[in-house]
Amino acid sequence: MKWTRSRPASLLAVGAASALLLTACGGDGDPEPGANGGGGNDNGGDGEVTLSIAFWGDFGLGPLVEQYEAENEGVTIRLNEGEFNAQHESLQQNLIAGSGAPDIAAIDGDYIVQFREQGDQFVNLLDMGAGDYEGEYLEWKWQQSMTGDGAQIGLGTDVGGLAMCYRHDLFEEAGLPSDRDEVSALWPTWEDFIEVGQEYVEATGDRFIDNATNVFNPIMGQQPVGYFTENEELAMDGGPRVAFDLTTQMIDAGISAGIPAWSDEWNAGFANGDFAVLACPAWMTGHIRNMAPDTAGQWDIADIPGGGGNWGGSWLTIPAQGDNTQAAYDFVEWLIQPEQQIAIFNNVGNLPSQPALYEDPAIQEHTDEFFNNAPTGQIFSATALGLEPQYIGRNAGPVRVEVENVLNDIQGGNVSAEEGWERAVSDAERAAMD
Amino acid sequence: MSTSGTAVTGDAPTTGMAGATPTKEIRPTDGSPRRKAALLGRSPQDTSAGFWNYLLLITAILGSAFPLYWMFVVATGTDATLARIPPQVVPGDNFLHNVGVVLGNVSEQGRSYANAQFASSMVNSVIVTTLVTAGMLFFCSLAGFAFAKLKFKGRDKLMVIVILTLTIPNQLGVVALYIIISQFGWEGQLVSVIVPGLVTAFGVFYMRQFIQDSVPDELIESARVDGASTFRVYWNLVLPIVRPALGVLGLLTAVGTWNEFQWALIALGGTDNKTIGVALSDLASGNYVRYRIVLAGSFLATLPLILLLFVAGKQIVRGIMEGAVKA
Amino acid sequence: MSTASGRAATDVATAPPGESPGSPAPRKTPTWSERWGRFDHKVVPYLLISPFFILFAVFGLFPLAFNGVVAFRRWSLRNPAADGWAGFDQFTRLIGDDRFWNALGNTFGIFFLSTVPQLFMALIIASLLNRRLRAQSFFRVGILLPYVTPIVASTLVFSQVFGRDYGLANWVLGFLGVTTELGGGIIIDGVDWRATKLTSWIAIALMVNWKWIGYNALLYLAAMQSIPKDVYEAAALDGAGAWTQLWKITVPMIRPMVLFTVVISTINGLQLFTEPMLFDTNPQSASGGTRGQFQTVGVLIYQTGWKNGNLGYAAAMSWALFLIIVVLASFNAFLANKLGGGKR
Repeated sequence: MKWTRSRPASLLAVGAASALLLTACGGDGDPEPGANGGGGNDNGGDGEVTLSIAFWGDFGLGPLVEQYEAENEGVTIRLNEGEFNAQHESLQQNLIAGSGAPDIAAIDGDYIVQFREQGDQFVNLLDMGAGDYEGEYLEWKWQQSMTGDGAQIGLGTDVGGLAMCYRHDLFEEAGLPSDRDEVSALWPTWEDFIEVGQEYVEATGDRFIDNATNVFNPIMGQQPVGYFTENEELAMDGGPRVAFDLTTQMIDAGISAGIPAWSDEWNAGFANGDFAVLACPAWMTGHIRNMAPDTAGQWDIADIPGGGGNWGGSWLTIPAQGDNTQAAYDFVEWLIQPEQQIAIFNNVGNLPSQPALYEDPAIQEHTDEFFNNAPTGQIFSATALGLEPQYIGRNAGPVRVEVENVLNDIQGGNVSAEEGWERAVSDAERAAMD
Repeated sequence: MSTSGTAVTGDAPTTGMAGATPTKEIRPTDGSPRRKAALLGRSPQDTSAGFWNYLLLITAILGSAFPLYWMFVVATGTDATLARIPPQVVPGDNFLHNVGVVLGNVSEQGRSYANAQFASSMVNSVIVTTLVTAGMLFFCSLAGFAFAKLKFKGRDKLMVIVILTLTIPNQLGVVALYIIISQFGWEGQLVSVIVPGLVTAFGVFYMRQFIQDSVPDELIESARVDGASTFRVYWNLVLPIVRPALGVLGLLTAVGTWNEFQWALIALGGTDNKTIGVALSDLASGNYVRYRIVLAGSFLATLPLILLLFVAGKQIVRGIMEGAVKA
Repeated sequence: MSTASGRAATDVATAPPGESPGSPAPRKTPTWSERWGRFDHKVVPYLLISPFFILFAVFGLFPLAFNGVVAFRRWSLRNPAADGWAGFDQFTRLIGDDRFWNALGNTFGIFFLSTVPQLFMALIIASLLNRRLRAQSFFRVGILLPYVTPIVASTLVFSQVFGRDYGLANWVLGFLGVTTELGGGIIIDGVDWRATKLTSWIAIALMVNWKWIGYNALLYLAAMQSIPKDVYEAAALDGAGAWTQLWKITVPMIRPMVLFTVVISTINGLQLFTEPMLFDTNPQSASGGTRGQFQTVGVLIYQTGWKNGNLGYAAAMSWALFLIIVVLASFNAFLANKLGGGKR
């Protein structure tokens, strides 16, 4: 037996060393998890409140949270950022389980119907006084988060009115017009867009768009009827078929770089110039900026082919199971105030869903150096105001995931467009069933 | 792996069939004459390894180490050096930056990864691993002692039950386990990954074998005669003797617990109480997938175990080889 | 903690008086002492083993049984209204569910690609280790590097290595002139690893092999070292090289261990989860690729239960998998008994 006394001692040393390493580097990771302190429900008495807020991607909350914590002693806010679909799925689980939900949960448009149908699981914000803000919001944005019996489960954050981001430098190299008005004039329809794309590919040998799903989703957003009718019937042969066919045409035309969205390669593609255009709702601008800081000034924003539409945009909701619903509401209410909404716009580009703010000079006169001084405030305000929202079905999120998978598969050359459509329909039916 | 009844080692239980005993390794007799004759009739252990033998073994070690090296290489890269062909193949100088980013201390392009809660997840994993290991050592040695040295009604039948539970692939009860945990209100809390792992059939079995073989009955009897209570015998007499086995079991448990993923993902995914594996899978899934960040995190998650292997590798090897029964 | 055993005995000897029936009878509470003694002998042993049985009952046995109940019920995480008994509906659905059969096929495919090379390589490495070696510990510890690496971390590394555009594997393949055409006429170096069944299975099997070869090698090594030396001396083989010796003498001698590892690999391989889950471009989707080309049953259960919120159906799948594992494992156990000559 060679297990001498020094062994456990050295093991302890390793443990201690790694613990030290952790605490030394811990930073604002807030290392006080504790075996029992789940879900941010630890109400430490003395007015100490910890609020957890679950979201994905970029809500521009970081600096605002610091400010709020500084102004409100005893309030700690824990940001729980996760993957887009996964956040909604785990919120759903937590609602059913009756525990584990965050104090504040962000919900995207694809999922809002699913959750508003469980309105009793959320704090009715009208009871907290949110009714005062009804007039501030785009009407449809306010309505989409209302339950059937008139409760309001969420306050809108941003809207995803559509525009088209493009690399004006690459356009110039390809011999295409690069001025944003001229570019807008190039492609009134998606068919025109495909032609421009082919020209670009011919001239440069590079690809034009990033991938199939990132044109499919905005085209879906432009359709009068989405995946579901207002009777919750799956209607794949309407809007989805149109968007699907246009998308597969683009793949066949060879203008897509075929880099799956949100992948590592896609993120790298921004900096590498692997593609020259990207449909961008306001919230996408922040992502481009983060992924390719070195391309500052080389991007610009034009109109999107095919008219107005919406892609994304979210609400902040307060699950009723939380222990700190009042404190949560206070924070949400603070977040939707004009100063904060404008700060978020400046910070990450997300456009508020309160039209009065569009008149605010901070938005109206905002130009963005990263996008070649494009008047992003005006551009995105106009798209938001021109929107005719479509009905989003209860299972729109899962259905979208299925169709995206098929598109990625066609893109990968693993299935033909026709077979792909058949699969998309059957997979969508299954997803709509669950 | 997280529930009782599974082996401590994560995916592969180390023990064999009934009758396993922690056996001492048989080492080659040192004084054996070095014959130069052909292999004929000679035990491999008495044969000196030749050039090819060493070369192949070194290749195997390199193969084992390469992914870890690559993890480090990517963790030291920048976007530019990684997103290119040919890729970067030697470590770069961006390691501290990437580590800072994943821990949330350094923000990158105005964006902080503090939200990924990587640092607090490391702390969570330390807490979980420590408590599970401590619980395993205590409860398994307690039960192992009872089974090995105490006489009570139904002992042998109960031991058979323990052995039978070894074979149940109980990941398969995971749906129901999740429902139970939710009923307890443990969802999203560390307790949900700690309590089910506190004692396993393998641990009980392993400790029983060891205690049976290494604690002389006479010693216990004389302590009894001197008036020691059962627990005192366990604490003052048995525990000190079985410390080597405790060390081995502790190491295997710690490795298995630190690396556990599936149950942790189900119980803790999407909450802000993650363990390290769950946090890593989040990092690899979000909108901002960057392998240099993801693998910097992976490297931090792996480092404690590499250090453990460095310090206590021989014990881990022994634990695995002892657990491996000469069936 | 540093007490040596001999010392411990004396500690015990000086245990507080009054607890021992043999010591001069304490006058004050004789019955208490007796009662304690009886309690200590009759009840305490059960107390000592109770933590295991309680925890196992609550978190091991009950879930397995309860899982059977759930499989016959509707139990949705998305729609609380979907409740009540489902009878055999979910099992009927399972039999007609392409995804389940697809996942089962993937599971077996990956299982085959990972188990066979894994155990073969482990045997080779074990026999390489089973020599008089310098730096013996270094080699034994070194091959355990994969074993201690978190599967999550190693899978993410391999995920990067098998990346389509910037992965190491494709760079090497591109160097060798291998290219693949995707949709829309895109040509990449190497192959799109995640896109087809075979390539994704190979990638995942490689991860599994990497993880477990060293570990299994140590199991085999342990078995090899318990082979009596005279077995080798007695077996006179004409022109026996190391290779012949390995297959003619060593392997037959450790056959029970080989079969044991086969059984364990079966149980674990059929539950494979982490690697296929995290190999996905978007790991959280649990879809095992764009059309489930590398979705295993374990991942499908997770997707069904926690992504689609259908716990009842997921429970039915778990039972199906359980049955398959039991059948396969007992088949292997049967083999073990047969081929191992009934040695237990």
